[in-house]
Amino acid sequence: MRWLKENSLSLAFLIMFLLAVGGQAVAGMMQFNDQQAAEGSEPVSLLQYVTSSSFAVDVAENWQSEYLQFFLFIVLTVWLVQKGSPESKELDKAGAESDEDQQIGPYADEDSPAWAKVKGIRLWLFSNSLGLVMGAIFLLSWLAQSVAGQAAYNAERLGDLRDPVSWGAYVTSPEFWNRSLQNWQSELLAVLSMVVLAIYLRQRGSPESKPVGAAHSSTGVEG
Amino acid sequence: MRMAFVVLMLTLTTVGCAVDTASPARAAERFHAALAAHQEEAACAMLARKTADKLPDPGQSCADALRELRFGPGGQVTSVAVWGEDAQVRLAGDTLFLHRFTDGWRIRAAGCEPMGDLPYDCEVDD
Repeated sequence: MRWLKENSLSLAFLIMFLLAVGGQAVAGMMQFNDQQAAEGSEPVSLLQYVTSSSFAVDVAENWQSEYLQFFLFIVLTVWLVQKGSPESKELDKAGAESDEDQQIGPYADEDSPAWAKVKGIRLWLFSNSLGLVMGAIFLLSWLAQSVAGQAAYNAERLGDLRDPVSWGAYVTSPEFWNRSLQNWQSELLAVLSMVVLAIYLRQRGSPESKPVGAAHSSTGVEG
Repeated sequence: MRMAFVVLMLTLTTVGCAVDTASPARAAERFHAALAAHQEEAACAMLARKTADKLPDPGQSCADALRELRFGPGGQVTSVAVWGEDAQVRLAGDTLFLHRFTDGWRIRAAGCEPMGDLPYDCEVDD
């Protein structure tokens, strides 16, 4: 019980993720089969659908934009600030901050992670590991989107009696950029909304909000 | 890292699946071999259902319609592209579009001429 409570945030999101991706698979298969029927083709099974390029491109294009959003949020908030926002750090703390503030090297605590206590490449890697991993997942997802997207696009083109295109032609096509940018714009707007709305609005008890009574001008305070 | 692994697997499974290009190539060659041997009924049996339904004029059989079209020789396979359940087979003398059904590859369109980036102009299509 205690373990469940201590991990409830991750568990809740994991369960919601699994339900959503399962729902996407079923709804996507039904839509795909509806189209297949209209074209006189045979319906596909759920397993065939979830291993198809059509499903893969839909999943990957959303993943890449989410990881891009978090990557940008993590990295840009090192240097950029927003007065009054709990998503920003205090205005005079922009930058990588001092070793003391970051509890690294000689300032590391006894229970600090091992790579926070050393110097060199390991310290650099660990100091940037969150951004690096989010950025790497973004790039891998975007690559997966391009590969699966090319496959789905070419299947559609062959269905229309048109020549298939190369990967190079696909990643410079309006189809690829429309898929990418329509996801990016919504993620960027969501971050902008969060940063700005959290200056003036509150959610009592949420660490994503300032305390209800905090001044609109107070920055870097989380409730 | 688990997410990275999943994404990587997604990429590899999409890229790495061995694509069977021989089966659609054989289907295209058999179609043209049947036409060359004046076995139009056998050729009709290799067409996708929608294509076979659309081909004949009223009162005409599929075989008669194929006979009238006087296809030239198909020749050797020069390239095969397979994406999902669809394929394009280029022969020296023709370009064909095929679709994979549960009973194998069937001809959706044949006698196709390229029209730039527009759909091919085909003697037989669906």
